[in-house]
Amino acid sequence: MARSVYSRAKGDGLPLNDSMTNPTIDLGLPPTIVAHDPADGSVTVTVDAGLYPLEALYSAAYIFIDRCYVLLDRPREGAHSVTLASKKGDASPEALRAMVGEFANELLSQSWRQKILEENRVILETVTTQALAGAMGAPTLDDLASFDFTEEGFDDPLGIAMSWEEKQQQKKAAKEEAKP
Amino acid sequence: MTERRFHKDIYPAAAVDGAVKTFARFAAITVREEGDHRVVAVESAKPERALRVARELANYALGLVREGAS
Repeated sequence: MARSVYSRAKGDGLPLNDSMTNPTIDLGLPPTIVAHDPADGSVTVTVDAGLYPLEALYSAAYIFIDRCYVLLDRPREGAHSVTLASKKGDASPEALRAMVGEFANELLSQSWRQKILEENRVILETVTTQALAGAMGAPTLDDLASFDFTEEGFDDPLGIAMSWEEKQQQKKAAKEEAKP
Repeated sequence: MTERRFHKDIYPAAAVDGAVKTFARFAAITVREEGDHRVVAVESAKPERALRVARELANYALGLVREGAS
């Protein structure tokens, strides 16, 4: 997180929002990423929406609502901002810097969790479906009697599932068709 | 008066309305629409109370967003 957030400190030409133009306390953090509002005692962190999905932002922000007042926004297309203010009213540079750092770490963690969740969604759904199907118990004789076994389970273009007799019959039929 | 701007893509209307309804008994709260935002204005005789209510309201709205997502 720190690297990706702070890598934009070099200046990406993006416009600053109003609260970013008057940082009276130097937090030692890039002003394009972290803005300090001394009147409100809050800091606003702006992150790239492409790097950090909204779901991850929700999760990270939600974790902070027990210790901070949190407000999410979209200052421009492709960016999200999070405004944090301590509930204890501690607006010292050290406290704000720590708050931003902890939030950045949490956001990275939640983004990673989100990525893993998306990559494993099919596996999770398959396992859950199988578990639920297993919990339903074995099928009864009535269930088996009414089951439609004629339905084709899969395509078999190479005839792998065909019996030897069926294959021979097909070959014979093909030869007879090929005769003039 | 204290205002909080809730982006429509981030805070669904139900979350903002639910939070406003919950905190309406603590201060005078009005909602208006401004482009992509719903702007919640909180008024109270004491400015610090208005600020506190606005901040708690925003947290509550975020909680409702998460509740709706889960």
